[in-house]
Amino acid sequence: MANSGRRERILSRLVGAGAAALETSRLCDVCADVVNVSGAGIMLMSGDVLRGSLCTTNAVSALIEQLQYGLGEGPCVDAYMQDRPVLEPDLVHPITLRWIAFTQPAVEAGVRAVFGFPLQVGAVRLGALNLYRDRPGSLTDDQHADALVMADIAAQAVLVLQANAPPGRLAAELEKGADFQYVVHQAAGMVAVQLEISVAQALIRLRAHAFGNDRPLAQVADDVVARRLRFDTASGEKDFSQ
Amino acid sequence: MTGGGGSSLGASGGSVVHFLLWSAFPNRAAKLAEVDVSGDAMPREALLTRTFVELADTLVADFDVVDLLTRLADRCVDVLDVGAAGLMLAAPDGELRLMASSSETMRLLELFELQSQEGPCLDCYRTGQPVLNQDLATANGRWPRFAPEALAAGFQSVRALPMRLRGTVIGVLNLFHVESGEMRQVDVEAAQAFADVATIAILQHRAALEAQVINEQLQCALNSRIIIEQAKGMVAEREGLDMEQAFRTLRSHARNHNLRLVDVAAFVIDGSLPPSAIDRLPRTEPS
Repeated sequence: MANSGRRERILSRLVGAGAAALETSRLCDVCADVVNVSGAGIMLMSGDVLRGSLCTTNAVSALIEQLQYGLGEGPCVDAYMQDRPVLEPDLVHPITLRWIAFTQPAVEAGVRAVFGFPLQVGAVRLGALNLYRDRPGSLTDDQHADALVMADIAAQAVLVLQANAPPGRLAAELEKGADFQYVVHQAAGMVAVQLEISVAQALIRLRAHAFGNDRPLAQVADDVVARRLRFDTASGEKDFSQ
Repeated sequence: MTGGGGSSLGASGGSVVHFLLWSAFPNRAAKLAEVDVSGDAMPREALLTRTFVELADTLVADFDVVDLLTRLADRCVDVLDVGAAGLMLAAPDGELRLMASSSETMRLLELFELQSQEGPCLDCYRTGQPVLNQDLATANGRWPRFAPEALAAGFQSVRALPMRLRGTVIGVLNLFHVESGEMRQVDVEAAQAFADVATIAILQHRAALEAQVINEQLQCALNSRIIIEQAKGMVAEREGLDMEQAFRTLRSHARNHNLRLVDVAAFVIDGSLPPSAIDRLPRTEPS
């Protein structure tokens, strides 16, 4: 009974009075609101590839998604890969040290607890819901149950929105407010030509450069596209921006 | 425009309705399980309860819809004290087809077959109302072909309960009794609940199939976009263009050669379209 009550309560928040249309930004806002956390984000994934961020509620949740996109690790990645909720109630003093690259920049941005919930409809896996809080502490049983129902609704909502899209195209509602890091792929294309390697290898080089220089991947990609950074100089990568 | 419900039923308002419909299925399955778990522990009630819990559980995981409907028909025979049970679904052409039956005997299958033309299932499907307690001995006028056949097969009375979805009948649960006489009200209610579970099962199944197709489409759309962005990067780097110019180069090549943009992009990436073979844009603008 509790669960169907939860579902109805969340659905009425989502599509209730004043809601003109189902939007991903609203989806994220309701996620954060219902579970009562500092912020929420929805990450789309497929296979073992992070596709990008569908929506985030604020700059910190956007950073959480960007970090995971750039580093390939974090609560969303684990929740999706392991097909279960991944809970880290205290990022500063974790019980098990995971996410060696993700943790420090996340903590510096004010993240104290992170929670990842897989998005799936039946056997179809779409990505993960990402929740964070600016103070440590576990989710209560009630919040946890809300988050599970919310993840379920979010997964269905993504499919419902995409169902209206013309074939081969991403639904406009999904594109709006999303960050699919297209610039990273543009940069990968350029680096592939510069080094005469495949785009997949070029993506790895970009990630390695970002990690090695402690810079966000998107920023590195921006520099490549703006031709401030090249990868094909004799002495390795040449950064014209400094 | 935001505003009231009326104005919101535009392009994306429809998806909200769709969304609510979709979200309702697991809800109803869960409710059935909850309501019936609380039933009293009389042996028959217990069996009924267990059946609903079992069926509701099946709906949650991946399931084979025909297998589930067959199990449901079998449970009707166990629990409702009927001789045979079957589930008929309306095909897209509106004709009733047998989906599952408690027995595969030829005679019974023929009884279902007949009902695409006449019989309790067709009446129930057309009116949306249950057909209850129709003794076959007195039904010759109503079903001139079906009634004698059913009697000959050893049945005395028939029932048909609609599988309803918000005013639409998608199929019928058909029960055959070896004795005449009225069905207890509690059994009628249980039978209708079985018909509802069957409805949910079919909808869940459709929703799961739909989910898979849409997800594939979603992944394909995301993939296409990434491939195009990567190809833009390659063309931009090779030709010294900015991203906008690179995109227009790819697009004009695709148009000139009657190819899809995403295919041109894929050819650029895998090297099967060398840079020298890509149509140059007339350099009208400064780069």
